[in-house]
Parts: sequence; C-alpha cells; structure tokens
Amino acid sequence: MSAHDLDRTLAALADPHRRRVVDLLREKPYRAGDLAQATRLPFPTMSRHLRTLRQSGLVEEDRDALDSRVRIYRLKSEALGELKAWLAQTDAMWARQLVSFKAHLQKGRK
Amino acid sequence: MTSKVFLAIRVPVDPATAFEAFTQDIAAWWQPDPLFQITPQGDGALHFEPGPRGRLVTRLANGETFEIGRILVWEPGRRLVFVWRQASFTAGQSTEVEVRFEPVGDETRVSVEHRAWDTIPRAHAARHGFPEHVTLQRAADWWRVSLGALRARLAD
Repeated sequence: MSAHDLDRTLAALADPHRRRVVDLLREKPYRAGDLAQATRLPFPTMSRHLRTLRQSGLVEEDRDALDSRVRIYRLKSEALGELKAWLAQTDAMWARQLVSFKAHLQKGRK
Repeated sequence: MTSKVFLAIRVPVDPATAFEAFTQDIAAWWQPDPLFQITPQGDGALHFEPGPRGRLVTRLANGETFEIGRILVWEPGRRLVFVWRQASFTAGQSTEVEVRFEPVGDETRVSVEHRAWDTIPRAHAARHGFPEHVTLQRAADWWRVSLGALRARLAD
C-alpha cells in the first residue's frame, strides 16, 4: 500500500460518522438508506460519507439484486486486514501479559 | 469502528498491591513475544519511572534505553494511563494504554484498554513477525484461533 492510499484511509477513518459506518458494515452489507437511518444522518450527508469511504477503498458498492435502483454497501474484504492484524496482535500481547501478571502475583503469595 | 483492545483479569490481591506489582515488578512479569516485539532488539527489561510525570521505558540488551511512552495518569491503586509507542511506529503515530484496578471483594479486577490502534499505519502493521504462509487477511483469524483457549481463562 502506498503512502498516498494510507493517507486516504486514515483521512476516511478520521470522521466519527464514517467510523460508525465501517463498524456497521463489519456486521453485514447495508443499503445507503438504512445506514442513514442507523446513524441518524440526512441521506445526502450519508451519500457524501459513502463516497469518501468508497474512494478510500474501504467500502464497495453493489446494486441490490432485487431492485437495481438500490445501492448496497459492503466492507471490502481486504480493507482493514492489517489493522485487524494489529488489533489481534495487541490483544494477544495483553492476554499473555495479564495471565503472566496474575501468575506473578500468585507466586508472590505462596 | 472499534479502535481499541479491551481485556480484564481478576487477581488475588487488593488494588493497591496490584498497582504496585504492575508498575514495580513489570520487568519480572512481562513476557516478551517473539512475534510482536516492542523494538527490533526485543522487548528488553521494562521499567516504570513512577509518578504523573514519569514514563515507561525499556532497557535493551545492547545497553540502550527505549522510551515506550510518557505516563499520563498515575493514580496508585486505581488507574494508570500511558503512551505506548513501538519502535516501528512513525513519528506521528501513537497509542494509549489505560489500566484500571477495581476492587471485587478481596480481589482486584485489572483491566487493560489499548486505544487508538487505528492510527497505526496499515503498511507496517503486521509485516514482520507473521509466518510467511499466513496472509495478512487471514492473520487476525489465525490469532483468534490460537488465542481461544487463553481468552477463556481471562473471562471474568
């Protein structure tokens, strides 16, 4: 990933509404209208956020199989992969450390 | 999005003792992870320079001291917040760790919240350390599986 892409990703994630959208899309794909409703944003505002997320490569757009006028948004599968990895590594690190910390305290009591 | 890691464990001492051991004995209980190192020279011997203006540093095998981060909140027996920067982070990137010590009967619930990991650039997040056959996409799942048993023990 180039520095430019990275800047765009971080800029896209800098906004709390867009972070919320990414959060929602982690669960399942959403229609734009449902995203606007879930975040209580006016539809045009949501459209702008979705455009930013699409341009950053975090989110992709599909047409609804049943109604081609409706756009469906989903998280790109490769997006955030490395962030997830960092999260998982940090999670793993603290899991180890806390177990070790507890063992240290138990040893000290004997 | 969830830009933090949160873990908690219960320890068989009071909060004051837990805080003291966490900060003073960190060199004794810290377990270096060969896959996820604080610096390329390893984790070294961690040490809290105590107090609200203190810092968390580590002394490396080559004699150098690496500053992991400044202490932001130092409330003995209650709460500890410090900056966490690994050597691979770039100048603008930083994360923050908050450790809370809460009494539960005679024991203490120690919780760790590691925040703002999404400020870490994606490009270097997991490049080093993972076995080469594990793709970055699958890395998170790979960890989750290997962690399953451990996480069960941490539940409280």
